[in-house]
Amino acid sequence: MEMLFFLETVISGLLTGVMYSLVAIGFVLIFKASGVFNFAQGVLALFAGLTLVGLMETFGLPPWLAIIATIGVMIALAWLIELLILRHLVNQEQIILFMATLGLAYILEGFGDIIWGSDVKVLDIGLPQGASDFLLDGYGLYVERLEVVAAVIATALVIVLAIFFQKTRIGRALRAVADDHQAALSIGISLRTIWITVWSVAGIVALVAGVMWGSKSGIQFSLSLIALKALPVLILGGFTSIPGAIVGGLIIGVGEKVAEVYLGPFVGGAIENWFAYMLALVFLMFRPQGLFGEKIIERV
Amino acid sequence: MSYKERKIGDTLLKVEDISLSFGGVKALSHVSFDIKEHEIRAIIGPNGAGKSSMLNVINGFYHPQEGLITYKGQVRRQMRPHQAAKQGIARTFQNIALFKGMSTLDNIMTGRLLRMRRNVFWQALYFGPAVKEELEHREAVEKIIDFLEIQAIRKTPVGRLPYGLQKRVELGRALAMEPELLLLDEPMAGMNVEEKEDMCRFILDLNDEFGTTIALIEHDMGVVMDLSDRVVVLDYGQLLADGTADEVRNNQDVIDAYLGVSHGDDESLEGAA
Repeated sequence: MEMLFFLETVISGLLTGVMYSLVAIGFVLIFKASGVFNFAQGVLALFAGLTLVGLMETFGLPPWLAIIATIGVMIALAWLIELLILRHLVNQEQIILFMATLGLAYILEGFGDIIWGSDVKVLDIGLPQGASDFLLDGYGLYVERLEVVAAVIATALVIVLAIFFQKTRIGRALRAVADDHQAALSIGISLRTIWITVWSVAGIVALVAGVMWGSKSGIQFSLSLIALKALPVLILGGFTSIPGAIVGGLIIGVGEKVAEVYLGPFVGGAIENWFAYMLALVFLMFRPQGLFGEKIIERV
Repeated sequence: MSYKERKIGDTLLKVEDISLSFGGVKALSHVSFDIKEHEIRAIIGPNGAGKSSMLNVINGFYHPQEGLITYKGQVRRQMRPHQAAKQGIARTFQNIALFKGMSTLDNIMTGRLLRMRRNVFWQALYFGPAVKEELEHREAVEKIIDFLEIQAIRKTPVGRLPYGLQKRVELGRALAMEPELLLLDEPMAGMNVEEKEDMCRFILDLNDEFGTTIALIEHDMGVVMDLSDRVVVLDYGQLLADGTADEVRNNQDVIDAYLGVSHGDDESLEGAA
């Protein structure tokens, strides 16, 4: 029984971790392509979720059509972001790009508010809910169905992304752009194409994250704050590594659940809220580039 | 140098009446010259004369307010850098612009990006034609690595390399594009004598063997006189002289403006020749 409970805790942690990973992957994509921590990634997830619910409620679209339409909206958004913001900041300091994403986060948030309203929305695209009967009946293990579905979708997404970015010329172009804008231009890489591609993919990943979190706890403002939970995940995994984002997410998901359940009683609980950040701090001291990040080389 | 006379062909690039200013500062005013196929063309001038600006105009980083650029018979007012690259213009930078986190091999491989034409989805599956293509590009890159004699640093992240070798890798990346026109912005700055000699040899060899047209900015007058077929002299954004190395060297305007009227400089010029 004791063992079973531990297993349940770990599984539940793993599945939460998958959610963290999903958000973190969005960050990694944009960081790889522009060397910028995209503060707006959480808001992108919120915006995608709001748009999806809005399209379903307002226009009565079936879920699959609404999802396709939302993907279209996210791609259009990527195009607009390049046109209105990124294009004018080529060759600027990274901190300036970071500030631009900060501004973008607030604009998007306000924009989503104006169009779709600010109340908590229920998202139901027909994903299975409740306990997974098979595991409960057979092994006495309680696992949320939704979380299993989330894990499967996240895995599929990660495989597709990994192949897309590691095996194609886009992957190499991406690393080039992240390293040096000017040099990338000189070898014939179109910054525009790369940025629109990456922000579109980040938007679609945000949509997946938004749908998963939204199905679990509704689409609400707090969704944009998961960006903050992704930060320790990135520090653990390394800002440039997709596998790192996954492993980092899983470690933090499991770590905080296990810590909450087994250490919580001794320190008065609420470990879940700060455990991730403490782990990140420890990592910063001993392995600042993260588990999978590229070593930072600086010639003096 | 007579064999070169034979090789030099038609005009590859012509700039006419180029004027470029940043706010109130005039970087270039009414500059015209041409570059012929297979030649080595030097652009010289004192600091701030507008040499780098000129290269930036040619490969599309800057858009001149006035003037026309004719490249391979096509007249254009301005062009984006990645379009210039597609049309066969490659370059290196005064302050090395390499992808510092990547290895030498990967840096040079990026120069092949434009030549990879296989469908992204084939590449993703790493299947059939895509595998063959990757291998072909790898082969081309290995040839460049051999040519530049940098086999030993193939896997080293370029951020760790000494300055002279970084310059060489940057040249390698430009060569990987198999350019028709290669722009070199101070390829020998900060190098010791030995490294300079190597670099000179590479430039001459690739002009000889592959017929690459080269426009280079260089401060070392000895190098300029040895390498170039013709020389453009800029001063305060204006064209001061244009001709063969000998003509330019004996041009009184150039002697006065570029070298200053001091006789000490004058002697070093003779010495370099």
